[in-house]
Amino acid sequence: MVDQLPNRGLEIEMLKEMGFTSIDDLFSDLPEHVRMTEPLPLPPPQSEEEIIADARRLLGANRAMGDVVSFLGAGIYRNYVPSSVFQLVTRGEFLTSYTPYQPEVSQGMLQAMWEFQTLISELVGLPIANLSLYDGSTAAAEALTCVVRVHNRKATQKDTVYVSELVPPDRMSVMHNYCQGAGIAVKTLRHNNDGTLDLNSVHEAAGSCGVYVEQPNPLGILDRGVTQIKDIIGEHTALVVGVQPVSLGLVEAPGNYGADIVVGEGQPFGSPPTGGGPIYGIFACSQPYLRLMPGRIVGRSIDVDGKEAYCLTLSTREQHIRRHRATSNICTNETLIALMGAMHMALLGPEGLEHLAARNMTACILAKQKLSDIDGISLPHFTASHFNEFVVELPKSAANCLNYLDSVGIIGGFDLSRWYPTQGNWLLVSVTDQTKATEIELLAAHLAVWCSIKEVVA
Amino acid sequence: MSRLFDFAGGEGMGYSQPDPLLPKTAVALPPALARKELPRWPRLSEPEMVRHYTWLSRRNFGIDTGFYPLGSCTMKHNPRVNEVIAQLPGIADIHPHQPEHHLQGLLSIFHEMQHMLAVCSGMDAVTLQPVAGAQGEFTAVRCVQEYFRNRGESQRTKVIVPDSAHGTNPASAAMAGYDIVEIPSLENGRIDLDALKAVVDDTVALMMITNPNTLGLFETDVPEAAEIVHAAGGQMYYDGANFNAILGRTSPGMMGFDAVHFNLHKTFSQPHGGGGPGSGPIGVKSHLAEFLPSPIVKKRPVLTGEEQYAVDDMWYSWYEPKHTIGKVQQWHGNAGAVIRCWAYYRRYGYGLKDMSEHAVLNANYLRHALHREAAAAGVSHMFVDGADADVAKHEFTISLQPAKEAVGVSAMDIAKGLLDQGYMAPTVYFPLVVPECMMFEPTETESRDTLDQFAKDFVKVLQIDPETLHEAPLTTPVRRVDEVYAARNLCLKHPFEVEQ
Repeated sequence: MVDQLPNRGLEIEMLKEMGFTSIDDLFSDLPEHVRMTEPLPLPPPQSEEEIIADARRLLGANRAMGDVVSFLGAGIYRNYVPSSVFQLVTRGEFLTSYTPYQPEVSQGMLQAMWEFQTLISELVGLPIANLSLYDGSTAAAEALTCVVRVHNRKATQKDTVYVSELVPPDRMSVMHNYCQGAGIAVKTLRHNNDGTLDLNSVHEAAGSCGVYVEQPNPLGILDRGVTQIKDIIGEHTALVVGVQPVSLGLVEAPGNYGADIVVGEGQPFGSPPTGGGPIYGIFACSQPYLRLMPGRIVGRSIDVDGKEAYCLTLSTREQHIRRHRATSNICTNETLIALMGAMHMALLGPEGLEHLAARNMTACILAKQKLSDIDGISLPHFTASHFNEFVVELPKSAANCLNYLDSVGIIGGFDLSRWYPTQGNWLLVSVTDQTKATEIELLAAHLAVWCSIKEVVA
Repeated sequence: MSRLFDFAGGEGMGYSQPDPLLPKTAVALPPALARKELPRWPRLSEPEMVRHYTWLSRRNFGIDTGFYPLGSCTMKHNPRVNEVIAQLPGIADIHPHQPEHHLQGLLSIFHEMQHMLAVCSGMDAVTLQPVAGAQGEFTAVRCVQEYFRNRGESQRTKVIVPDSAHGTNPASAAMAGYDIVEIPSLENGRIDLDALKAVVDDTVALMMITNPNTLGLFETDVPEAAEIVHAAGGQMYYDGANFNAILGRTSPGMMGFDAVHFNLHKTFSQPHGGGGPGSGPIGVKSHLAEFLPSPIVKKRPVLTGEEQYAVDDMWYSWYEPKHTIGKVQQWHGNAGAVIRCWAYYRRYGYGLKDMSEHAVLNANYLRHALHREAAAAGVSHMFVDGADADVAKHEFTISLQPAKEAVGVSAMDIAKGLLDQGYMAPTVYFPLVVPECMMFEPTETESRDTLDQFAKDFVKVLQIDPETLHEAPLTTPVRRVDEVYAARNLCLKHPFEVEQ
């Protein structure tokens, strides 16, 4: 093989020049008893053509969402990434660069990330954004540890945060893992039967370090109550809001109703679903959190000639300087995916954003109308405003329904009993800008058929 | 300059979209929920957007631009076949919540990667969940923490790290709630077994260490360190940042480690992307396996009825370990990065050892060439080896302290001078144990000609007069950036109010 190893065939010459005779000489410092003596028990190397063929065969066995009709969302959403984004992001200068520690030759990525910070800041209505965390769940988890660092001194409920009980268990698990080390107690905020936040429950959170809620919430509901939280909890308890960023083309920016930190899954901007990663987490905040926030930040500066220039700043929060006192252990983040997000947002512009949000929202309205007409199923939160998804209550289990729909080539949604074990008959149906009216008709027709089968069986 | 927020075209959007399924008037949000003002985003047409990002890309340096000897970062070539594969719909267009029978191809690749990483590291079980090296560290620390809680050994509240460790080690352990005990390295940067013995007792949960160490030297005392820690009931953690040096030659398992993370973006060629994404799977010995987070994939022979979905007559399914710590990322890790690294691994197969051998060959050759060219030019007195050793591993350090004392030129000056020569600068001022440190990691994907030319150009920079070198770089898109100005005059977003 020389393709990846330019010095294949030159080993002996190079070794000789250094005064060695074999490659083994270069590993002579390994103690005898830790040396591997047998070849790695792995298959033989393949050529590029064979690798591509195998990749097509194996990945071809997956059911890509574009090849089926899909109503699966629940945190990751089907979207469209404009062609120019892929063309530009694979430019080697972006793709193959490291973290911009040498700003003089990294101005391109630094400026692009500073622009990303501005795009996110404007989107969510807060003055500061970092240049991405791993995903929405780690962004939320880091927000919770951050609000404790900021508010614990004045908090009457020390080391305590409140999180909506609707937050999915996998996301919750990430928060627990991040919070347990700091000894943070994670308490829950209750919800009403109509899926909205119980504001009495919010009163109990006043005096804690912060509350975390999502808008739209995990049931897809846009909850007016979320806009009233900050008035209830006051200035010494942080309001952290998790968002689906596309919704902010139509839905009020959380910064405008008192959110102190906004987080979310950036994926719908710029990144295909990719099996859930790599995607990127959004993290934006107001001034009081700046010096205790996680992640990298780019600042605009000048060079020695007074020319506009960009560099990483406020690095003294970070692990490579502050070590065990750092605000987070994050080093590698999701810069390139955030760059894809920036490109997508830049192309959309304000009107494109509003248009994209309207495509998502009207598809949701249409789907609610069509599905609510089916005998035997109901929409428990029909009168609420929804973004992307809504709950359908079925006459029998969602698992059964999904199996049936799968047999006719439809991914019908998400079985909510996986999150809420008592809701065995709840199906979370997700629609996005990619959903066609004919697909909604198809789902409605098959759901009607499935309901009628049920009646026969029963 | 091309500035994104200077683009203020007419109303409209930069790419064409279909109409909504219903008129926009169908959206009737209550006033409290409706957005009043759209974000002040720019308005660009597609040609303007393409030109803006192309302009930015030309102001950025990547491996594709030139030699990138950034120590401890393993900046190897990123094969393009990996990118082609990662865009196939079977990975790009799949949803993590799809049922197992929709994802048999993905699961089979995950299984293969788990197996490969376990084999290469001498571990028993692997999870692909963590999405970065630091997150891998955190995940492993959490597994060890739950392991001890499960055994009723909650008095173990300390984690030992050498003072030369990567900053993520202490940061990750502290995030899990551990107290950090830093032990000093010996003067030559190596582990101090006496210092270790002095702090080891039954309150220690874990020692975190990398080998080769951050000087690029193989720590021959690591097996003994492992015995010391194990004798006190503690666990040993291998920071896989330097795994590129030893693959197929030795393994963390052979050295006595219990847990290890892999930086797929270093060893297995996932592109660094200007700071990410990465992927940081971890491997553990069997006693820690039931504490791992999913996704972990298991396989069994295919059953009747499954054939239409199966690959290679096996059935793959997700497995949740009995005492799992839960999740550290909500989904299945960075699946797209794992796929790229799978393609990379397939190119080498059992020949992965060749990769490490060439990485070490190139590092030693570059070290040799620097001395050779310096001697030829009569500037050998300007630097010394950062550590006294016959052989380096995948990286090595030099100290420019002599240059500083002789002519007042710092490692940073030399680094900036190298930028003018068309190279990325090596890592500077790390590790701290070497004064005026410069750390080189050429990787296996650089040709001898490149290494020879770089050595010549490095020596050329050493000969530039100090006044000129203090001014370097002169040819880059901007010159030395004022980081103090940036921190004192914080400007973290486009200042609309001021400039309009």
